Amino acid sequence: MKILLVDDSGTMRAIQKRCLFKLGVAEDQVVEADNGQTGLAEFEKGNFDIVLTDWNMPVMDGLTMLKEIRSRNKDIPIIMITTESERARVVAAIEAGVSDYLVKPYTADALNAKLEKWVPASV
Amino acid sequence: MNVAFINHFIESATNVFDTMLGVQITRKSLSLKDSPAPTHEVSAIIGLSGKVVGSVVVSFSSNVALKGAGEMLLMEFDDVNAEVVDAVGELTNMIAGGAKAAMDHMELSLGLPNVVCGRDHRIFFPGNVKPISVGFDTPWGEVAIDVGFNDVLEGNLEDIAAQEAVTV
Repeated sequence: MKILLVDDSGTMRAIQKRCLFKLGVAEDQVVEADNGQTGLAEFEKGNFDIVLTDWNMPVMDGLTMLKEIRSRNKDIPIIMITTESERARVVAAIEAGVSDYLVKPYTADALNAKLEKWVPASV
Repeated sequence: MNVAFINHFIESATNVFDTMLGVQITRKSLSLKDSPAPTHEVSAIIGLSGKVVGSVVVSFSSNVALKGAGEMLLMEFDDVNAEVVDAVGELTNMIAGGAKAAMDHMELSLGLPNVVCGRDHRIFFPGNVKPISVGFDTPWGEVAIDVGFNDVLEGNLEDIAAQEAVTV
């Protein structure tokens, strides 16, 4: 299980990694990027099983990265974890091919439930 | 500025502190911000633009910034370092994002947070904008939120304070 974690906030990446490690994901199976452009570059290098991404980031936002990844891979689960919760934004993400969506702020339980759904327990 | 806007920031801040940090905050003051001096030592600024244009400044006393970052990262911080600044920026992003969602009809976009530390700086809103400042008590110290949009101020502060929705 190789996971690409894209968020410009190191704090949010740390929170998500903490949750992933509790689910049994190995530390060396998580690759981090701090914007969509570096996220896309990492995606092209690696064989990822799932992508977790923020929306609002410098250089390239998460929606643009999502569209770029979808043009290359129609199947990989992409979960957007973002403050963007307006209907129009969620619809835009769905139209771009997002697999699931979690709005910040979230409780530890909500994050855990979302990741449990996509990260198999047998990692 | 439509004073109802401030309610969305109050509600969002209350939700963010509760959800991400597990602490209850209490609103204590509401005033027009008449000084460009930051209210507390660590201030994060985010611009919002759409049918109105404005900014939100969330100003954290140092201890709130340190404890808040510590709660998120499960670490102890003695100084406001890069990790604390990042956490403060993200908390502010979530506060602004929550308020933005409640103002859907304004079709706002969020900028990225910038964080300034110390009290020797000044934060200026555009000349025609009178920001409203809301103070909060937290178990760790004080926080203030200044919100200013380039719109006409409707109502006076007594009216604002009397609105039930403002009382959190």
